[in-house]
Amino acid sequence: MPEGLANRLREHRAERDLTQAALAEMVGVSRKTINTVENGVFVPSTTLALKLARALGCSVESLFSLAED
Amino acid sequence: MTDIETAERMSRGRAAVMALAAIVLAVNVTIQYGDAAYASAGPRGGSWIVVIGLWTFILWNGGGLRLRGRLRALLNDELSLQNRARALALGFYAAVLLALACYVANWSRPMATGDALKIVSGGGISAALLRYAWLEWRLR
Repeated sequence: MPEGLANRLREHRAERDLTQAALAEMVGVSRKTINTVENGVFVPSTTLALKLARALGCSVESLFSLAED
Repeated sequence: MTDIETAERMSRGRAAVMALAAIVLAVNVTIQYGDAAYASAGPRGGSWIVVIGLWTFILWNGGGLRLRGRLRALLNDELSLQNRARALALGFYAAVLLALACYVANWSRPMATGDALKIVSGGGISAALLRYAWLEWRLR
């Protein structure tokens, strides 16, 4: 996980019963990208973070936050 | 098969081809070392320019130029672009280190310019290709 960044993408996706592939399809990236974001290996751009939030119907802040928050 | 699945399959194939190309390039540099015919003006010497130029081009744009828009975008999404950038950075450092190694080696054992340039270009591109293949496989 990149230092100081936490994300709740997996939880939000699971709440909506979406697979990684389905979410990837919705935002136009590969499934691997979704997987690496969930695992904290890849930090998405602001654009992709906004697309993820829109696809999941939540705010960017609820998806990504600073670890100390 | 959905676009996502197709892109994933193609991405794995691309990584495998790049790893194979890196090994072939490294083997070529090794077995052609010291043979002036492979570094002189002519088809054999010129083929090196084509091979290195081709893989540099593919590393730069990700390949798949004939693919339609969405599939190509999936194949070259954010993660893939970042992996390519990291691979190119490593390739650059590898080329610089190999150039320094050739420079030092030349003090004790004179080296033909063509051989040195092939070590630098082949080593740099091989390192970048291997790094990209590794990142794509590791993060699958």
